[in-house]
Amino acid sequence: MGRYIIRRLLQAMPLLFIISVIIFVLTTQMGDPLSMFGGGRRALRSEDRIRLTRQLGLDKPLYMQYVIWLAGNDWMPIDADADGKQDVDENGKLVYGTRKGALRGDFGTSFATRQPVMDMIKERLPNTLLLMLTAEVVIIISSLVIGLVSALKQYSVFDHTVTALSFIGFSMPIPLLALGLIYIFAVYFKRWGLPYLPTGGMYDPQVGQSWQQTLWHMVLPVTALSVITVAGYSRFIRGSMLEVISQDYIRTAKAKGLADRRIVFIHALKNAALPIVTIIGLDLPFLLAGAVVTESIFAWPGMGRLFYDHTTRSDFPVLMGIMMIISVAVVVFQLITDLTYTFLDPRIRYD
Amino acid sequence: MSNRLFAAFSGLMIVAMILSACAPAATPVPPTQPPAQPTAKPAEPTKAPEPTKPPAPTATPAPTAIPKPKVVRIAFPQEPDNLNPYYSNMWFAAILNALYINTSLLEYNDKAEAIPNVAKEIPTAANGGISADGKTITFKLRDDVKWSDGTPLTADDFVFTWQMVMSDKNAVVTRDPYDVAVDKVEAKDKTTLVVTFKEPYAPWQAKVFQNVSAGSGALPKHILEPVFTKDGTIDKAEWNRKPTVGFGPFVFKEWQSGSSITFVANPNYYKGKPKVDQIFIKIVPDDAAQIAALKAGDSDIGTFISYEDMADLEKLGTLDLVKTPSGYQESWIMNLSTNSKTAGHPALQDVNVRKALVMAVDRDKIVKDLLEGRTKVSATFWEGTPYANPDEKPLKYDPEGAKKLLDAAGWTVGKDGIREKTIGGKVVKLKLRYATTTREVRKNVQAIVQQMWKAVGVDAELINHQSDLFFASYADKGPIALGQYDIQEFSTNPNFPDPDIARWLCKEIPSDANPTGVNDQGLCDKDLDALFAKQTVTVDAAARTKIFWDIGKMLNDKVYWNSMWDDPDWYATSKKLVNLKLSGGTPFWNAVEWDLKQ
Repeated sequence: MGRYIIRRLLQAMPLLFIISVIIFVLTTQMGDPLSMFGGGRRALRSEDRIRLTRQLGLDKPLYMQYVIWLAGNDWMPIDADADGKQDVDENGKLVYGTRKGALRGDFGTSFATRQPVMDMIKERLPNTLLLMLTAEVVIIISSLVIGLVSALKQYSVFDHTVTALSFIGFSMPIPLLALGLIYIFAVYFKRWGLPYLPTGGMYDPQVGQSWQQTLWHMVLPVTALSVITVAGYSRFIRGSMLEVISQDYIRTAKAKGLADRRIVFIHALKNAALPIVTIIGLDLPFLLAGAVVTESIFAWPGMGRLFYDHTTRSDFPVLMGIMMIISVAVVVFQLITDLTYTFLDPRIRYD
Repeated sequence: MSNRLFAAFSGLMIVAMILSACAPAATPVPPTQPPAQPTAKPAEPTKAPEPTKPPAPTATPAPTAIPKPKVVRIAFPQEPDNLNPYYSNMWFAAILNALYINTSLLEYNDKAEAIPNVAKEIPTAANGGISADGKTITFKLRDDVKWSDGTPLTADDFVFTWQMVMSDKNAVVTRDPYDVAVDKVEAKDKTTLVVTFKEPYAPWQAKVFQNVSAGSGALPKHILEPVFTKDGTIDKAEWNRKPTVGFGPFVFKEWQSGSSITFVANPNYYKGKPKVDQIFIKIVPDDAAQIAALKAGDSDIGTFISYEDMADLEKLGTLDLVKTPSGYQESWIMNLSTNSKTAGHPALQDVNVRKALVMAVDRDKIVKDLLEGRTKVSATFWEGTPYANPDEKPLKYDPEGAKKLLDAAGWTVGKDGIREKTIGGKVVKLKLRYATTTREVRKNVQAIVQQMWKAVGVDAELINHQSDLFFASYADKGPIALGQYDIQEFSTNPNFPDPDIARWLCKEIPSDANPTGVNDQGLCDKDLDALFAKQTVTVDAAARTKIFWDIGKMLNDKVYWNSMWDDPDWYATSKKLVNLKLSGGTPFWNAVEWDLKQ
């Protein structure tokens, strides 16, 4: 098993390298970060444009920009004043760059905020994880319950109702759902004098930040995130449970007189779980990315909004940082998913 | 790269990324701070003083509760990128400067006049502040000004700031005007700041150590100089994110990325302690959310209110609509080019025809019908600023007068009701190509103008373009720059609050030799050019204002520029928030006087 993990990790490296090259090329071609420096009303003067292009390293050929992103520039002399000569300090020593490169955990600094990308991500990631992990827990538990019940009581009233509802839920666009929830539970409930939920943010500034506040503010975004996914997952669980409980070995177990609970949870569910684990494993890494739409609508300060805000400014160091983290997470969670298979199905072995 | 080396590199990368990605996951809940102000929300009846209890004879009278802190809440649809003013070009960052880094030498009041701030008085030739050659300006600074940590604010701070802006080690957003116009900045003593220019530089009031757009006055030398010495740059200084030491009616307290920025009152401000205790900037996702926050009473100031939202907001009765000059003017730009390639309709060369075209249109009615009468037709391009000539008036609506002028100019009504004239043996119809963007209100204006022109025998062809194409440069084959139409309508502005504008200079006419020229009107008038040339070197503010009055008069007399309407910035402000004097240049300049009625 250990060797298998190591082999998978080694295989991931060329993959991540290729991913980083592709993302780098795409994000740098996406737009001109300097044109967004005129976020004010005045466009950047050409003098400032030329100077900033140089100071931010955008004048270098693309492959050099990539090398600096990957490996930093603290090993090469720089020319900050663009006089064609390498800079020297007062002691006549060559001046080197200060960037360490992604390989050493330095994803550079944002063009917009001039903050290290890693700091920006560290600020937002906990918020996103809080929201997304909560949503994921809600999703898994409720889709398991719904899926199991409708599989075990196939063609019952409950099954039919849930089937109808899940089709509605699955085809619901998330912005509509989110705005609808805000409209009903925040705007109208307030108007009707009922206890209402907040429209957005993580806490009420008048009250201050506390875990109760955060929990209260999470209700609507978590609901919006869960509904659609629950609709999908519960269908999967229902389907694979139905398949498993019609198998011979389940009949054998029943014939042996095992308790229903034992049959459902130990014999059926464990085998039905394989496809579900695959789907959840594929979804998990994207939890880190946050949900762009949901976070925007509910003003949740997470990774999704960070990504969106900096996409509009063509701030590619930030975009690169976020996307590389997601890429790594995909690789890691894939591995974890594969390892889970060996637990669920002893026939699968990797050594 | 060999495979092994490559693998080693990638291994490092993965480990680095996993570590950094997972580290914060260990503490998913951000450190919760005690509530900033532990006051009960108004909607909590349970906390009300117990009314049923009979008053105990010895009990102290009704508790004199600590007054609820006065918090001004403002919803921002865009999050500032950087709180160091020299590192941001965003409007939403620049307007905050007046709260926490109000170190500009001058500031702009609600009449768009420059008034002294850190400078004791405005330098003029008369008070010895401006040298005879106009190249040296001496600012006397106030001697009672202190940073929020008690350190005096002196001329040295300004010199340091200039050095930081000009240092190649700092990637500030703009060096304007220090690279093109300023020779050196020196501190004669603690309160005497001397700025030497390369040439006499008229826009100094709005450009040198100002708070208007990117940039501001002084940065705190005692905070940032050690950072510069240590790191070799102030690009990543912590102060840029957390400017806890500042100068202004408020002090920065906290910035929750993506959520909010909080400022608290600065008791040591030289203009006195502000009347409100806190300013809370809430970051909202977009303009719709801003409007929602205003309607819900969650925001006390709304920015860039659009005409569509105004009636709705007014109906609530809790908000006032306030306008400030922005420099923008919705304008009619006539194609006056004489170059055969870019020339407009030949009739436009005649000043009386131009005049008639304007007189034929009831602009007041357009403003009343399309903009609910909220703004007005401007008399000059500098409406609402000291540079607007007070004697000028917009041309009156007079269709009969327009007909007479057109008749006199030789444009007589033809068989089809459209005026025509024989030029060089050919009959030319008075049919004008009237182009603008695809904005709904402009399309409506086009249709109304077409009707009104028809009444005086002028035909119009209406053309609309997406704005990115419409405003494209000569090099990018923009239709205005190429002179494809006769009349264009759009909103344009000077270097507000500075009055200078390059739009009418002969040398700015776009051509193959000058593809970035901004004179898309193709206008070249030597007298006008001379006036503009004179104002750029007139350093004395009063003398320069007079020149702009002359320019305004000339633009009107020769009908080179026409207002459709004044296009100010619109704010919605809570009726509870009093003493607000928003200004176009530095909107929050009088935040120290703001008060909140409870």
